[in-house]
Amino acid sequence: MIGPELDVLTLAYPPLLVFAAALLVLVLPRIAGYAVGALSLGAVLVISLTAPEGQHLAGTFLGHFEVVPYYVDDFSRLVGIGLGFLGVCSVVYAYSSEASRELTAIALAYVSSSLGAAFAGDWLVLVFMWELMALTSTLVVWHYGGEAVRAGFRYALFHGTGGVIVLLAVAAHYVEAGTFVYDGSGIAAGFPALLAVIGMGVNVGFVGLHVWLPDTYPRPHIAASVFLSVFTTKTSAFVLYRAFPVGAESDLTIYVAYMGGVMSVYGATFALLQHDMRALLSYHIQAQIGYIVAGIGIGSHLATAGAMSHLFNNILFKSLLFMAVGVVIYRTGEEDLYKLGGLWREMPLTAVGFGLGALSITAIPGFNGYVSKGMIFDAADPGYYGQPEYQALYYLLWLGAIGTLLSFIKLGYYVFFHGESDISVPDAKPGQTVAMFGLGGACLLFGVWWQGLADLAPLIEEGTHAFEYYGGESHLHPYSASHLETAGILTGVAAVTFVVVRKPLSKLDLSDPARVVFPAGYYLGRWSMLAVTETYAAVDAAVVGFVTRCYWIGNNPVLAVEEAARRVPMVDVDERRPADGGQPSTIYLRTTIGTTVLLLTIVLTVVLWLLVS
Amino acid sequence: MSSVGSLLDALGGFVDLLPVLLIVTPILMAAAPVALGLRFDRTGWTVAAITAVGLVSGALALAAEVYTRGAVIHNLGGYPRTYGIELVADEFSTAIIVLVATISAGVLAYTRRGGPRGNTFYSAYLLLTGGLLGISLTGDVFNLFVFLEISSLATYALIASGDGPESAVAALKYLILGTIGASIYLTGVAFLFMATGTLNMAELALAIPGAEAQVLVRAAFAFIFVGFALKVAQWPLHTWQPSAYQHAPDGVTPLVAALVSTASAYALGRVMYTVFGPDFLTSTPYLTEIVVTVGTVSILAGSTLAVIQRDVKRMLAFSSVSQFGLIVAAYGLVNETAFVGATIHLVGHGLMKAGLFAAVGLVSVSYGARTVDEYAGLATNRPVAAGATAALLIALVGVPPAVGFVGKWYIGLGAVRAEQWPVAVVIFLSTMLTLAYTARLLEKMYFTPASPLEAAHPSEPVAADGGDGAAPLDRGVPGAVSVGMVALVVVAAVGAIALGFAGGAFFELLDPFVSEVFN
Repeated sequence: MIGPELDVLTLAYPPLLVFAAALLVLVLPRIAGYAVGALSLGAVLVISLTAPEGQHLAGTFLGHFEVVPYYVDDFSRLVGIGLGFLGVCSVVYAYSSEASRELTAIALAYVSSSLGAAFAGDWLVLVFMWELMALTSTLVVWHYGGEAVRAGFRYALFHGTGGVIVLLAVAAHYVEAGTFVYDGSGIAAGFPALLAVIGMGVNVGFVGLHVWLPDTYPRPHIAASVFLSVFTTKTSAFVLYRAFPVGAESDLTIYVAYMGGVMSVYGATFALLQHDMRALLSYHIQAQIGYIVAGIGIGSHLATAGAMSHLFNNILFKSLLFMAVGVVIYRTGEEDLYKLGGLWREMPLTAVGFGLGALSITAIPGFNGYVSKGMIFDAADPGYYGQPEYQALYYLLWLGAIGTLLSFIKLGYYVFFHGESDISVPDAKPGQTVAMFGLGGACLLFGVWWQGLADLAPLIEEGTHAFEYYGGESHLHPYSASHLETAGILTGVAAVTFVVVRKPLSKLDLSDPARVVFPAGYYLGRWSMLAVTETYAAVDAAVVGFVTRCYWIGNNPVLAVEEAARRVPMVDVDERRPADGGQPSTIYLRTTIGTTVLLLTIVLTVVLWLLVS
Repeated sequence: MSSVGSLLDALGGFVDLLPVLLIVTPILMAAAPVALGLRFDRTGWTVAAITAVGLVSGALALAAEVYTRGAVIHNLGGYPRTYGIELVADEFSTAIIVLVATISAGVLAYTRRGGPRGNTFYSAYLLLTGGLLGISLTGDVFNLFVFLEISSLATYALIASGDGPESAVAALKYLILGTIGASIYLTGVAFLFMATGTLNMAELALAIPGAEAQVLVRAAFAFIFVGFALKVAQWPLHTWQPSAYQHAPDGVTPLVAALVSTASAYALGRVMYTVFGPDFLTSTPYLTEIVVTVGTVSILAGSTLAVIQRDVKRMLAFSSVSQFGLIVAAYGLVNETAFVGATIHLVGHGLMKAGLFAAVGLVSVSYGARTVDEYAGLATNRPVAAGATAALLIALVGVPPAVGFVGKWYIGLGAVRAEQWPVAVVIFLSTMLTLAYTARLLEKMYFTPASPLEAAHPSEPVAADGGDGAAPLDRGVPGAVSVGMVALVVVAAVGAIALGFAGGAFFELLDPFVSEVFN
């Protein structure tokens, strides 16, 4: 990398392009600004496809920390393509959804930091981008005002905490490894790895740490939701892979894998219980990230490839779903799915867009989710390429898949079917439609032309679609009879179940038990604040009291001695009225001559006894 | 000093006579004020002043000789020391002799105007000085008793000369207890004589290690130590001391406080180290423990009692209990550093206490203040007295570079060298406690404005309008203070700080004695 090539690459550093576009959006006329934003993301897409593999822009930070801000390999390339393509669609969607320029500028800065994290080649740049992402995404939430502000605070609190933990993890990693640069073996084992899992767990929505997700994402502008739904969680899942890459033998990965399984079930279950459409989708972020986390945790070639493919697909269909739901909200102003119905007649384009996304996320054959989810299933299934210890994980992922199907049948049924619509609304605007169909088309494309997805996926051999596993080498064959059969069983079970549970489900209103962290956090904060101030007050009172008492003793030694003497048993203290205006003058602790002679005798006896005996 | 020495060299053997002259002159001159008083009214001060000047020059001449050429030993009448009377001026005793001579001379600067007046006072004064110099110079343990009694008798008389019945009671208490203490000491001397057949210190030092009746020797030590513990006013045998100091006339207290207990403490050190010797001290079970315990307990008890006093003189008296506890504890550590520290603290404490008690007298005359509360506003109204007092108090706490620091430092160092950690801790604590009672006084003097209502004992009719807070308070009799009185306090304060720079010099001057004792 010398000469002009370096210059081109420097200019083509994706986060820089997008950030420049973010600034331009603020100053240019609306349409020109959005065009620049979309172009910059299109450029990111192109750069991701063409940039040579390897480390770029390497240098030193503060003199002696090696940093690699721009690192391209199969993984970051895949993420870059997904984010770039989605970015273009999102900007178009935002334009036609009447998002303000400020919002789009902030969102582009957020996208820029997210890209920075994805293309980071060392932990230092990663942490910087990670924190920047937390900051910009909070601004995206805040920009909407109202309810979103409080949610944004909670969001910022979560991500600030997670960021600090990741920062600690990176610092601990530096102590262990002596460098910040990725060396292919992930984060140092032990303490740094544990911190990294927890810190990144906040961002990817580990069960218990996920509360910010359904709390924050339903609240801001619909276009903001589209941005938010993708960049933080997907980038973070990718970064989790950087911490635990293929071949990094870590004790933690099996727990990470099972956490992914639990996430998929938990997310799908609570998605099923939601009334708010965007909250439902937010829980599905957790569920789908669960699959990715499970794949990363399993850590075999197939699992990792599946996780990365699913990540890529997820970028496409999750944003598509948020767009479709966003259009419904945009047109009807209604967030509760039970208050809608029969909308397919009113807005068929949106219904089609939603259908593409729903079929993808529920892993119906012919859509991209089927391909990538199938890879993760196969990697976990001991009947295919999984190790025996992942048997339970496989069942968890199964359950998650059924839950996903159920909840999307529910969402689709109540919004677009279920009787007649009592309101008459226009369909999606052209820009929105373009964005949705772009993404939906991609979903369909990679479902049918699964070879294209497999070629993009890392660790899968191009052309032959071969991959290594512990038993040797095998080939991808997503549309085999057994795979189709599995998909058919899943869909059938879900369809039957939905018919059974539809009525009781609509009565059920169960809130996420993990939301207890909000009151818990509130009371913890309140009580710790109270405890600190009360302790301080107590210490202050004690110290002041002690000093006052000392001062009093110093000023009234006679009274103090009398007071003390009065408490000693067998000592009589005469009540004595001071005669000189309230201040006792002299202390009456006189030893008589006789007593002194007695003391003298005692002392002499003791000394004699000690010395002579 | 060296020029004085060379001058005296020319006078041949005159230096050998100095120890005798230093004792005999004041004792003989003690008769003069009384005798001359038959014919002249106010001769006492003149006689005392002339004698004091002579004593100071004699002491300095002796010091010049001792510190340049070594100890001066005089056998009275030329008899051998086994049964004769021997006077010894060595490096240890000479420090005390110079202290006694200069302080007693300095006190005259106070008493000229501050009183007490009258020929009988000066007779007792000269007798006391002679007794103290005798204690410092004597070379045998029986004469030590005699000189202790001479100085004690003079002290009783001086204390009793104060106004009011409390002085008489205090003097009586001191008389009875002091006599008992001296008697106990004498009993110890008798045991020593029984065990060794000699009373001469040098002979005793040779005889004690080989004495057959070690039980007698140990019993002798017990009696001697307890006797001195009373004389030095170690807790709980200190009970005579606070009243004696408090009720003695203001002009007498500096003398008594600075010199009488100091001479007794010196005598204890002399007996412990010259007569019994470090080997006996360390080889006898429990001995050093007893000495250290008595000393440390006195440090703590004295300081604590000082903190709760209201009367400044009484507070300083308890402070003496604590400070002498430090010296006794240092004796118990039995190493060179601690011993030098004890000597420095003996001298430094004498100087500081003389200055402080003189300051108390000065303030009581000029400001009418005797209690801590009444010292409020002293700094604004009597800045010189307040400044000197503050300097002396700070020196007493042991803030470098004052002499109080040097003594405590060496004693603390000795405690650390002897690995007696409790003593080291107590020394640190004693500094804190000293700070506690000095801080009270400093705070009153400098930070509490004077309140006319607090003038509990106005010696003049008080201006009762009280509305003019800015004007100097009309209390005390500023005119009754002479230059000499102020000078004594200021010189003591300056000396206490200047001597602090002489720590190393002390070490060198004492070195011949110390290395002889500890080898």
